Amino acid sequence: MTRRRIGTVGYHVGVGALSLLWVLPILLVVVTAFRGFDDIAANGVGSLPHSFTLGAFTQAWTDGGEMRAVINSFVVTIPTVVITLALAAMAAFALSRYRVPLRRTLLLLMLGGNLLPPQILLVPVSKLTELLGIYDTLPALIAVQTGFGLGFYTFVLQGFMRTIPDEIQQAAVIDGANTWQVFTRIILPLTRPALAALAALAFTWVFNDLLWSISVLRTDTEMPVTPALLGLQGQYVSMWNVIAAGSVIAAIPTVAVFLRFQRHFVAGLALGAVK
Amino acid sequence: MNTPGLTRRNFLAGLGMAGAAAALGGCATSVSGNSGQSGGAVTVESNLSSPQAKSAMQALIADYDKRGSTQASLNTVASETFRVQLPTYLTSANPPDVYTWYAGSVARSYADKGLLLDLSDVWHTMDDYSPALRSLSTDASGKQIFVPTDYYWWGMFYRKSNFARWGVRPATTWDEFITLCQTLKSHGVAPIGMGAGGSTAWVASAWFDYLDIRINGAQYHRDLLAGKHSFTDPQVRTVFARWKQVLPYFDPQSTAVQFQDATTSLLQNRTGMMLIGTFFADAAPKDALADIDFFQFPIIDPSVPVVEEGPTDGFFASRRSGHAAGTKDFLTYMATAAAQELYVKSSSGTVIPANPKARDAGTPLVAKGKAMLAKAADLTQFFNRDSSDALQPTADAALTQFFDKPDQLDSILSTWQAAATKVWSA
Amino acid sequence: MTVLAPQRFRFPPVLLLFVLVPLLVEGFWVFWPAIQGLYLSFTKWDGITAPQNVGFGNYRAMVGDPVFRKALLDTAIWLVLFGGLSAIGGLGIAVLLQKERRGVGIYRSALFLPVVFSLVATSLIWQAMYQPDGLINKVLGAIGLSGWEHSWLADANTALYAVIVPALWREIGYVMVLYLAGLKAIDPALYEAATVDGASRWQRFTRITLPQLRGVNAVVLSVIVIDSLRSFDVAWALTRGGPYHSSELLSTYMYSTAFQSVQLGYASALAVVIFVLAFGVIVTYLVRAFREAE
Repeated sequence: MTRRRIGTVGYHVGVGALSLLWVLPILLVVVTAFRGFDDIAANGVGSLPHSFTLGAFTQAWTDGGEMRAVINSFVVTIPTVVITLALAAMAAFALSRYRVPLRRTLLLLMLGGNLLPPQILLVPVSKLTELLGIYDTLPALIAVQTGFGLGFYTFVLQGFMRTIPDEIQQAAVIDGANTWQVFTRIILPLTRPALAALAALAFTWVFNDLLWSISVLRTDTEMPVTPALLGLQGQYVSMWNVIAAGSVIAAIPTVAVFLRFQRHFVAGLALGAVK
Repeated sequence: MNTPGLTRRNFLAGLGMAGAAAALGGCATSVSGNSGQSGGAVTVESNLSSPQAKSAMQALIADYDKRGSTQASLNTVASETFRVQLPTYLTSANPPDVYTWYAGSVARSYADKGLLLDLSDVWHTMDDYSPALRSLSTDASGKQIFVPTDYYWWGMFYRKSNFARWGVRPATTWDEFITLCQTLKSHGVAPIGMGAGGSTAWVASAWFDYLDIRINGAQYHRDLLAGKHSFTDPQVRTVFARWKQVLPYFDPQSTAVQFQDATTSLLQNRTGMMLIGTFFADAAPKDALADIDFFQFPIIDPSVPVVEEGPTDGFFASRRSGHAAGTKDFLTYMATAAAQELYVKSSSGTVIPANPKARDAGTPLVAKGKAMLAKAADLTQFFNRDSSDALQPTADAALTQFFDKPDQLDSILSTWQAAATKVWSA
Repeated sequence: MTVLAPQRFRFPPVLLLFVLVPLLVEGFWVFWPAIQGLYLSFTKWDGITAPQNVGFGNYRAMVGDPVFRKALLDTAIWLVLFGGLSAIGGLGIAVLLQKERRGVGIYRSALFLPVVFSLVATSLIWQAMYQPDGLINKVLGAIGLSGWEHSWLADANTALYAVIVPALWREIGYVMVLYLAGLKAIDPALYEAATVDGASRWQRFTRITLPQLRGVNAVVLSVIVIDSLRSFDVAWALTRGGPYHSSELLSTYMYSTAFQSVQLGYASALAVVIFVLAFGVIVTYLVRAFREAE
């Protein structure tokens, strides 16, 4: 009994120390967010703080337009994650559970789309949105982000879906389920851990995206969170405390989403019950 | 139940049709046609993103809107984003009307590609501007394409209290400068500070610029940056020979810190002086500002006319703007003394308005800077503004390597020339 | 452990939609611009005037470009170090944090926090830490290793390796998430059976966990290759490929060519090279993995 308790204490001390070390740079950002600008200018970013103020937060939220930027990020991220995971799950379902001709080629083709450095697609994509007349609108960003993530999510989801035993699907088909019902009632629920992981990752990427946002959007009031943060940097001189405060604010939604979803990794699979 | 599934051929045919559909879409490389509309506000695309400059611009826009028939709307983006996206903005189907930008080759290059609006009409209202500013704003075909609104200067900045404490005075000649460095070093201070690390490597180019214009003159410098000379020329070598004389007095951290941190070092008395532009005052805490002074970059060759760096900021407009008349009206307003005074008042006050009738912030520092620039025989703009943003990284790489390994000068210069040739021939 | 019987079902026509709609969406927004990028790699383009055809000129220039060769070498080093360490680190931490116990959610979030936090602010802190008088050198001095102090980001010898550390810091939490999902999918009955048979913890790890993770490994490898070759944010934010190309990666070189030197044709050619490298690495592994599974 005591050995287990020592083990538990040891575990928490060890892993706790690792976590603290890991979070250290971010703690430093938070400390910077509470400093005044003159303090940073006089003592440097790396020094111990000589001031404590909430001014940076208010400045980031109001003057920096961060409130609007966070809203923009949400408006773009939620539809994107839903649509892209839905489409990816559909493609993964077809490619992993059925003898679709050329399925391996199609999978590699879709994954290949993610191997391209996004920087080189920026100019063609922005011209494409202009052609469609949706340049400088949030729906354009949603469309672009949806398209760009598809390949990778399909690849991951098919990897998980392949491991689901055929007996389950066969049983459903025998019971009269059509393809759509097999997809929504059988396979999707079993893929929940993978979907949860991907949803957490996708939310983070789309919420914090920079390059696509600045290529597809032009108006400052449409910009999501990261370009807005960049916009707090001046031409020559930047107010690091305001930027730090803005980063803290921007991180809150994504951390909350991750905390919420990581519980789903837990949801032990129904697979264990099939035996 | 089990339908006789599609054959492979049908499936491939389906994919083929989908592929053809996906092949629609225009060429990514054309300049989109103009969907211009008249009426509506004049859009001003601004890269003045620091909170103070942004609110100054907002004040200006509000003042302009109060005055008359045309309205203006401001759109501010981060300055690096602005720089990267400027070609996209100018070639888009519905370009913004007015843009903040810099005078010099960086503006003329867009004019040469036919993207800028002819602003000669606006210049008819700017008769009292200096001929130097007028020629700076003129493109190769003789039309004005730029409206300058303010300019600033570079100098050797230091803390007055520190110099008093160390018992030294500003230097005017190169020999005096070296003596000054030696004295400062004996006080245990790094005589020359610089913040050319990370993303601010470009501040090192100020040294190159100044040594070049002090030794070889403004014309040689401009021609070199335009590709008419080579970086392996003996004239460039003399620049670096001079630089080597003061290299031991540079802060050893000069290429490891960014310029904002170098400013902190200067203000914390760890370095003696720094060659920097007046914008660095924005990085200083307010109580230190009164203690700051500068002196002119020392004269090396008295026979070479004195030239200073006086980068000029202002606006240009898109040729395909849908509101040409409103745009010109807005720019006429920006060129007036009242507008420029309003800007100076609302911002940090270290810039000099371009309109000769406008009053500047009136501090002794600004008066000294203005006098120094007025006495100069010629004004250069800074390395990237006189050449192009594409040439700047070649200088950053070469100069950083020079600081690290000064004895590899030959290979540094030949590499620089090779990289520069690629840029000039692009 | 029996491999799942490759009994895939006959192909109902509605599945055509399941495949085509995502494919079309990706085709429009990714493949079509990519083809344009490929076309651009055979041209010389400044972003404004019309592009000029130069055939294979860009590719030939690449071969003779010393910066390209340096970037290629650095990218290879990056792939091995960054890729290897993030896989090992991510797996190790996932194993540590896989059991649901009190507080594990907090630890997982702590590890994932760097992935989530904007690089705009964290790059500033890393830069401050790496400065000659910054936190890292101070700690080294305090524990008696002052001989190891460097100007980490400004020294040509250490810049690349110094940039890998924050990149790993951001990547390991992400790889951890993927491995956590994979570990969750392993049937606990396998472990029970092994424990009954007297297997040690290490044996359980190597004989059950690792083989079961093969599917996830394919994903993790793809992720790592994709991220290594596209690893751009951290390197650009900290050093911009400097000092004088000492930490230049193919991705930073491509970005600076596209958006600083504005040679979009050459940049597109670099992008094609990055793509071919990434595709080559992933495809060889995946084809083998597919063949094993079927």
